[in-house]
Amino acid sequence: MTILQLKNVYKSFGKLEVIKDLSFSVEEHSVFGFIGKNGAGKTTTMKMILGFLRPDSGEIYVCGERVSYGNTKTNRHIGYLPDVPEFYGYMNPKEYLKFCGDITGLPREITLARTKELLSMVGLENTNRRIRGFSRGMKQRLGIAQALLNEPKLLICDEPTSALDPIGRKEILDILSVARTRTTIVFSTHILSDVERIADTIGVIDQGKLMLEGSVQKIKNMRRKDTIQILLSSPETAKELAEKVKELPFVIESEFEMDTVLIKLTNAEEYGKEIMSLLVRENIPVLRYEILEPSLENVFLEVVG
Amino acid sequence: MKRYVAFTKKEFLEQLRTYRMLILFSVFFIFGLMSPLLAKILPEILSGMDLQGMIITIPEATAVDAYAQFFKNMTQMGIIVILLVFGGVISNELTRGTLVNVLAKGLGRHTVILAKYTAMVVMWTVALVFSGLINQGYTMYLFDTSDISNLIFSILCLWLFGVYLLSLIILSSVLAVGSFGGLILTVVVLGGLLLLDLFPKLEKVNPIYLSSRNMDFITGVLTPSDALLPVLITVILILANISASIVLFNRKRL
Repeated sequence: MTILQLKNVYKSFGKLEVIKDLSFSVEEHSVFGFIGKNGAGKTTTMKMILGFLRPDSGEIYVCGERVSYGNTKTNRHIGYLPDVPEFYGYMNPKEYLKFCGDITGLPREITLARTKELLSMVGLENTNRRIRGFSRGMKQRLGIAQALLNEPKLLICDEPTSALDPIGRKEILDILSVARTRTTIVFSTHILSDVERIADTIGVIDQGKLMLEGSVQKIKNMRRKDTIQILLSSPETAKELAEKVKELPFVIESEFEMDTVLIKLTNAEEYGKEIMSLLVRENIPVLRYEILEPSLENVFLEVVG
Repeated sequence: MKRYVAFTKKEFLEQLRTYRMLILFSVFFIFGLMSPLLAKILPEILSGMDLQGMIITIPEATAVDAYAQFFKNMTQMGIIVILLVFGGVISNELTRGTLVNVLAKGLGRHTVILAKYTAMVVMWTVALVFSGLINQGYTMYLFDTSDISNLIFSILCLWLFGVYLLSLIILSSVLAVGSFGGLILTVVVLGGLLLLDLFPKLEKVNPIYLSSRNMDFITGVLTPSDALLPVLITVILILANISASIVLFNRKRL
């Protein structure tokens, strides 16, 4: 089932075209990573999905229902974590979640049970302080709890990890990995390692256009440009090797730095053995041989760079 | 309905925990207490001063003076306190972004407006009754209140004016941007209404009537039937303000 669908959406602020002909869809129980530079149009897209901004043209559907601008009914399917979630500082986490349950019309017993469960999931079960004194990471975690309270079919997270330290980021990603078992997640980010960790499919947005869309594995393979890194015993042999491999037909590029040689080639697994036989033939002693995994980072830079 | 009640309860909790309720009730308590007391002791203070031979004859204070003090306090400082306590009710949530979570959960925007307005009107009503009762008790203790007429009606007029003012605050906050935009717009509209009140032909179509003629009702110069048109106009304006706030808020970009 398609949970979220955008069809030819356009949006501009004055003369600035922010979104140009954006179309994509997200299937149920998947994690969609929405990648783009700052200012690429990620938050604008999310706000349009929530009906907080009006698209100039195009259609957005959530669970098959069309999103209307302003007071949209589709929001009952959505849990939203804003980039910087803001709460009523005079409440404590339990009071806030109870309030959220009441305004979504959840029965009291269910609210209480889920509050307990969600607060322990995000690690705030013993925090009875008022939210006013919370750190950014704590607010982010409470933000996830409130977004999941009414068991939304779609969880939208706007840069959930950008403002956090490495530990906070890991915690949020772990929580999202748990959350993916019960809902569909769309999250935006510019941190590619986060996407690689939890996303199934990604969409790369640049200047308001979707440049790439598909499963993480497929995109990595499609843009495959493997790198082999070889550590040698001396800088001289490194220089020698770098020049020799350049002559091989499947090598795209080779470079060396100190005693390390980096060889870019079309397929490391297939042609790797030819590199190795070259090493044996030339009698070059190798300290370490390593195939570097293609990273989304490279793909991203290639697409938007 | 349940959602509306939940949001209204949240408003009361907010007013309580951010000390706004405390401020409102303290100030209104002081108004209730001070008005009769000031009316009583002002002539004594003046007579005790050394006026270097000047002779001022001051008529003895009556209950009318006590009520005059009360309405003067309410319509001047009282309005300022109302503006300060309730001026940020919507603007604060919009500028800080606390409404984003709530609206993203599918809570109707009209519910937000209606719940906020309900909480504001209830607080204003309770504070006014509280202050009025203290004032009444103290006035009866200090003065003879037999020549007072239309007291309840006069206070009801003041109440209705307050309800109008609160609807104006809501509409202004939805229209204007920033933390103080709503407050400034409310003050500008109030200023405009005060200017209009200078034209005798327009006085009866102006809500200001309800907050400026209170003593005329008490002394019997005006009767409640004189206020029929202003009351009607004000009720219509209140309904219009709230409807417009809902329509505009539904289309507001967040």
